[in-house]
Amino acid sequence: MHPTRRTVLRAAGTALALPLLPSLGWRRFAAAAPVTVPTRLVFLSFGWGVTNETWFPDRAKTGVDYDLPEGLAPLARHKGGITVIQGLANKFSNEAHWGSTFYLTGANRYGVPGSSFSNSISADQVAAETLGAGTRFTSLQLTSRDAEQSGHGPGLSLAWNRQGKPLAGLDTPLAAYERLFGDETLPLAERQRMLRERRSVLDAVLVQARSIDRTLSARDHDKLDEYFQSIRDIETRLAKEESWMTTPKPRPPLDAPGASLVGEQEIALMYDLIVAAFRTDSTRVITYRQPMASLIKSMGITVAPHDLSHYTPGDRMEASKRRDRKQSELLATLLDRLAAVQEADGSSLLDRVSLSFGSNIRSIHYLDNCPTVIAGGGAGIRHGRHVVLEAKQTPLANLWLTLLQGVGIETDSFADATGTIGELRA
Amino acid sequence: MDECRAAVPGLRSSTRRRTPAVLACGMVLAVTGPSGRSAETHEAVATPPAALFLEAHCTRCHDGDVAEGGVRLDDLPTTITTVEAAERWQRVLGVLNAGSMPPEEEPRPPVAAATEFLASLSRSLAVARRTIGDQGRVGTLRRLNRREYANTLRSLLGVDVDVSSLPDDAGAGGYDTFGSSLFMSSDQFEQYLAVGRRAAAGVIDRWRRAAEPLPSRSTVRTEVEIAARRQMGGLLNGYFLGGYRKAREWEAAGADPARAKDFGFPDEHEAKFRLRAYEQSGPYLGQYLALPKSDEGAWLTYHTANYHHTETITIPADAPPGRYVLRLRVGGNEKVPVSRRFLEMGIVSADDFRRLGVFQVTDPVQRPQTIEVPVTITPDGARAFSFREKRHADAAAASFQNALARATNGVGLDCALWIDWVEWEGPLPDPDGADRCLALFGSVFHPDLDAAATRAILERIAVRAFRGVRPGDDYLDRLVLIHDAQRASGRPFADALVEPLAVMLASPAFLYLHEPDADRAGSPVPESTAADDRHLSDLELASRLSFFLWASPPDDDLLAAATAGALDDPGGLAQQARRLIADSRSLACATGFTHQWLDVDRLDFFRFDHQLHPDFDEATREAAKMEIYRTFHTLLQRDLDARRLLACDFVVVDGLLAAYYGLDDVSDPAKPKPITGDHFRMVPLPPSSPRGGLLGMAAILGMGSNGERTSPVERGAWVLRKLLDDPPPPAPPNVPQLSRLDGRKISVRERLLAHQEEPQCAQCHRAIDPVGFGLENFDAAGRWRTEDHLYRMNFVMKNGPHGKVVDVSFPIDPAGALHGGPAFADFFELRAAIAARGDDFLRGLVSNLFAYAIGRPVSFADAEVIDGLVARAVADGGGLASIVEAIVTTPEFRTR
Repeated sequence: MHPTRRTVLRAAGTALALPLLPSLGWRRFAAAAPVTVPTRLVFLSFGWGVTNETWFPDRAKTGVDYDLPEGLAPLARHKGGITVIQGLANKFSNEAHWGSTFYLTGANRYGVPGSSFSNSISADQVAAETLGAGTRFTSLQLTSRDAEQSGHGPGLSLAWNRQGKPLAGLDTPLAAYERLFGDETLPLAERQRMLRERRSVLDAVLVQARSIDRTLSARDHDKLDEYFQSIRDIETRLAKEESWMTTPKPRPPLDAPGASLVGEQEIALMYDLIVAAFRTDSTRVITYRQPMASLIKSMGITVAPHDLSHYTPGDRMEASKRRDRKQSELLATLLDRLAAVQEADGSSLLDRVSLSFGSNIRSIHYLDNCPTVIAGGGAGIRHGRHVVLEAKQTPLANLWLTLLQGVGIETDSFADATGTIGELRA
Repeated sequence: MDECRAAVPGLRSSTRRRTPAVLACGMVLAVTGPSGRSAETHEAVATPPAALFLEAHCTRCHDGDVAEGGVRLDDLPTTITTVEAAERWQRVLGVLNAGSMPPEEEPRPPVAAATEFLASLSRSLAVARRTIGDQGRVGTLRRLNRREYANTLRSLLGVDVDVSSLPDDAGAGGYDTFGSSLFMSSDQFEQYLAVGRRAAAGVIDRWRRAAEPLPSRSTVRTEVEIAARRQMGGLLNGYFLGGYRKAREWEAAGADPARAKDFGFPDEHEAKFRLRAYEQSGPYLGQYLALPKSDEGAWLTYHTANYHHTETITIPADAPPGRYVLRLRVGGNEKVPVSRRFLEMGIVSADDFRRLGVFQVTDPVQRPQTIEVPVTITPDGARAFSFREKRHADAAAASFQNALARATNGVGLDCALWIDWVEWEGPLPDPDGADRCLALFGSVFHPDLDAAATRAILERIAVRAFRGVRPGDDYLDRLVLIHDAQRASGRPFADALVEPLAVMLASPAFLYLHEPDADRAGSPVPESTAADDRHLSDLELASRLSFFLWASPPDDDLLAAATAGALDDPGGLAQQARRLIADSRSLACATGFTHQWLDVDRLDFFRFDHQLHPDFDEATREAAKMEIYRTFHTLLQRDLDARRLLACDFVVVDGLLAAYYGLDDVSDPAKPKPITGDHFRMVPLPPSSPRGGLLGMAAILGMGSNGERTSPVERGAWVLRKLLDDPPPPAPPNVPQLSRLDGRKISVRERLLAHQEEPQCAQCHRAIDPVGFGLENFDAAGRWRTEDHLYRMNFVMKNGPHGKVVDVSFPIDPAGALHGGPAFADFFELRAAIAARGDDFLRGLVSNLFAYAIGRPVSFADAEVIDGLVARAVADGGGLASIVEAIVTTPEFRTR
């Protein structure tokens, strides 16, 4: 479609100097407001916390005059563009090994009588309901194959839907790449026929599901409703696919990743894919539940991931600090890449992204003062500061609500939020 | 705290009945079943000690008048029946555990009183969580879990498919048989379709092949010595000797760094390295080429670097899919330990070796044995199968062990296995393929059939897929439409069946164990009227039984018995249960249940340190897990006392584990016989053996470690949770870590004694730690020891590799006492003390097996039935098959 531009894009790699021309999808969405550059949200979560002693800035030094501690030192070049927040927690969290299950939801596991587990919608999905309307993918969930050992807790990704059910994530860079940029070599008529076939599959199973549903008790009906919801989700997706059918997928701004990347390389590539997904405006809401077990393995650390979070002075603590620095290095590179992409209005992609990076676990079994770094200009945050919240147990939901409102979601409540965090605003 | 107790997430706790729920000193809980089914209510109030504790230390500031920090504790509800009440108490527990209350300027509560209060409150809250979360005695519509789904595809279609793209269904709390924990998502639905397509294509292919003449069968044998000699000889004479000679020339010419390039080296370091490299590896390669019989076969090296460590059998791409057999003629070096004479088979990918099996090589090189392995080749599956000496997954292990051996013998690690030749043969006939396909499709393969016949085929398969339930006409109409559309797009008749079959395998009647409600009203009935128990229909009961005991759908015999009404009376039901248990498929129950019950997945959480535990490699770890499942299965099939899991005079092992434990068959004490071979069997133990029972199993002991060191805390908590039915509360968040002893070179025991100093720790660890100390005679990999060591990095021996060497040693002191129970002097007395609690163990086992069987958590309202089952098990001598029979004949199992 734009062979010359595309060629340049590919040649330029990620350090792109050209303004990104709006994709067709974007153009269609933006027809009403032609100069608006979209706002995006990305939430990153690592499982087993950080090294308590060396990751948090000195609580006494707040505002702009603070020193980046050892664990965040690799972010030095972005110090003016990030905010480190202390004092956030999910008040219901009790599971010392679940770093991600309730991270974006703030839910009470025991909140529903008669059930030993319940969850609620995650902040990203609230945003996706609005921001996802005009993109090919309403939202994108990324995860890894070692989630179980990485301290994330139950769930399939960071995202949970309105019903509090887990949303699946793409667990390798290759899978994410295929989803975003996978070739559609088939002719349009063929794809339309396949779409009809997929619909007829849904029709068939729905016929049976409805006839079974008529015989069920209320509890079983609720259970089968997950099945109906799955089918409805696919129908929604198919409808969206249909409306995008005549719009080719964007040409990928990076090469297809290898199939067996793990650890550090895996995270680096997922970060590249996050940038690529935003750049091509394939989606505006992304969550990434990062690998930790394979990250430390790829760094040559042989301590078990859980045991690393129970570091004691000596080898284990050093390994834990190395892990922190590595995660900060990777994040710094992601920020570099986001800053290098220029938008149609001359701003950078980083200016249009609201990014958060953290975990529900601080370190060891501590679930208070959840490690939190935010970045990007998408939510109108005044960056470059270290913010220590006065209330030591400020709900994480207050941050999520602040970011949601910041990116223009019209809502005055989220989960157990008691308000927004005024200190973060300019 | 050096290590804090790691609780396993999930609510798989047992539900011992506490009636009334009065705990040591704390609150008492009102127990109400939220479902409305439970009529029982235990009302009670906070007992004086708890009230006194709050009054003495909390309510002076946190009352209605002062309400320091906006927190009032004087009006805390004394019964916890609501989520809100639980949250208020949880916050009290939270600040006490975190040590943030009472504030520093206030007096600290006495340690003993605080410990008791915390212990009691933690337990009360755990009970309260279960009470509030109690779903009552009503089960939830069950989806097939991943294991059952895979087994069902195999049982229905006779094909094995890779289901790893589906969620494994374990981990969200409870068993993977609990309907309430089995979720569904749109991605998962699409995965069902994708897996279903592969399975359907497989069975269509088999159907077609059953009607065709057998493709010609080949046998291809390869002598392996030529390639091995070429590889190893080339390495020696080329890289090593060639580089060495050049480097010597450079040396002779004055070893001028600037001239290294003239001799073909990028720099002087490379030249020096090549001198060393030859000195290190040359002797090994030279010796390899001179090994006996190395002109007739190939020795496999343990060391990996470019050596001949793996023999691969590849079935060429032009050989058609189907069944094949692989053969290797192989002998073992009798000079190396038995534990090294095992051949490991797997599929090699980029940096991974996917293990498929392990074979003991029992015969010497002079009289080699032939190992036969049947394999099935699928159109897009693997065709190359690799064989190597079993080894650690950690690649560093090979060079480390080799360097250790070189430091002793100057050469390197001896080869253990010799291969004469390898061969493959196939494709082999599919003897039951024609019959099975005929039974499934109702006709022999035909390239084209009319619409009526197509519909008949789809209906026939659907009835089987839906476990005897006939699908509706409108549903079948749609399957036929899908077939038509497939044909219209150009697919041949049979291939066009793949899609409708895949749809069938993603349909609710296949995926869910559908048990319609008693009242088949037009709309969903409210919960209150659903409370009436309904007897399961014969077909439903058959499904419940076979999914419990086989993790698989009913076979024809069971369906026939169900149709004949034979399951209506408890006798007929028990008879079928016995038949299913006697069938080898009941291993799926033993595996699926014990794996989850005992949290065996923990063993895979970490890699074992190859230096400290060189023998505990991947194959040994798998065998150790299998020991648990096989032992349970043996007790089940022989109806032996389940309490033998606590202490037992036999073990169930294969040759690999017998070598690992150092066991011989001593059924005739005068003539001990080696235990060899790859099958598991019962072997009697001498009374002095620490093996026998779960506490002597390497997998159980290994789970209570981090792969390097033991964790008395993990082990102790596990024993309380699994063997004594006395689970400690989940690991609390925010407990301050004890750091007083950090960096000190002291024994684990000394370190953990610090737990007794702080109430937050002592409340749980006083019961947990002593049990762990009693197991300290087993190292992290379950080997017996009398000393524990701290290690530091150094050269392991003169000229040896850099690695872990003993820094400080401590004698093991296993003595201790069960909390509030008897003292023990050593492991054997601890084991006896635990075995004496057999009734508690039975209660835990029965509750868990009951929950697994009926597919829902045990409710407080089940107390009576559990009591009955336990009493009967105790009276009957604890036979495991009898326990199963008792469970399947309870009204709970037979109704919904």
